[in-house]
Amino acid sequence: MSDNLEQLFVKQLKDNQNIIHKICRLYTNDEDAHKDLFQEITIQLWKAFPKFRGESKFSTWAYRVALNTAITLYRKSTRAVATTPYESQKHFLSQEEYNFEEEEQIKLMYQAVQQLNDIEKALVFLYLEDKDYTEISETLGISEVNARVKMNRIKGKLKKILNP
Amino acid sequence: MEELDLLKKAWQKDSHSYEQISEVEIYKMLHKKSSSIVKWILIISIIEVLFWTVISVFFNVDEYLKTLNAESLSMYFQVANFVNYAVILWFIYNFYKNYIKISTTASTKQLMHDILKTRKTVQYYVWYNLAMALITIIASFVMQFAFDPRMEMVKYRIEHEENHIILLKTLGLILGTIVVFVFFFWLFYKLLYGSLLRKLNANYKELKKIDL
Repeated sequence: MSDNLEQLFVKQLKDNQNIIHKICRLYTNDEDAHKDLFQEITIQLWKAFPKFRGESKFSTWAYRVALNTAITLYRKSTRAVATTPYESQKHFLSQEEYNFEEEEQIKLMYQAVQQLNDIEKALVFLYLEDKDYTEISETLGISEVNARVKMNRIKGKLKKILNP
Repeated sequence: MEELDLLKKAWQKDSHSYEQISEVEIYKMLHKKSSSIVKWILIISIIEVLFWTVISVFFNVDEYLKTLNAESLSMYFQVANFVNYAVILWFIYNFYKNYIKISTTASTKQLMHDILKTRKTVQYYVWYNLAMALITIIASFVMQFAFDPRMEMVKYRIEHEENHIILLKTLGLILGTIVVFVFFFWLFYKLLYGSLLRKLNANYKELKKIDL
């Protein structure tokens, strides 16, 4: 029984791992920290897995647990060291649609997002993942109104970072 | 916000390729906690042996035997020491084996089994060390009584007293020392391995819950 559950979990996680990678990308600055956080989230997901009854999609449930881990459990000290984000060397746009100006804009925006605090990042992450406010509020455990207000504030903050 | 939507579009497309984690690696991550606890058990046991070895360098048994005029016992001590180290090395070898096993297992059932086995090994190890401490202290009292010239006076008085007060006092002192000595040893091991065993147990319970 246990081995079946484990196999199921490992398979689901493997198929959905990009969610976790994206969160790690947003919350960490270098590849070591990325791997660290990935592992921590994996362990937390596995611990919580027996409580996951399949009422929601695996991915929706994983968002919640993974973000909680990134916000609360992950040790801040390991990523407090300011390094050059390794993202700056990677491209957001694929080669076919490459547009220098756009790429620069996206990079700047991305760097601005990285300056937000952990909770703000979680909201932005769900926004980028194209979640509606109902889902955002459920995932983060706040009211829908609160989620909207927060998101508006974040947009204001991002504007300020981009145009100081 | 225009820029945020640009980022969103790029984000959704996700041309970024992440290094994909394989199933085997995920299994390893799930079991890493136990393996790191077992690794610590191994490391601590090795440090502990080094610690006792360093202590025994400062405490020269042969010198001590000389003051007791009991050099003839030296051989026994050497043999006992040799046997003791052999047993401890055997334990360390087992800790090492447990560590290797736990860090490579991929199934929960096997892992639970290995955790129980490791716990048992540690418990035997602690009991063995406590027993050795007890034997050592009793042996040293017996030797002191048998060989130490300073004990002659005490022995003489015990033989010639009528109400056994000195005998009782001496026995009380010996018993008290043994209790205190063994208690400190017990405390030492409790602190050293207790928390690791608790963590291992907690991990085991977690796995068991999933196994329901």
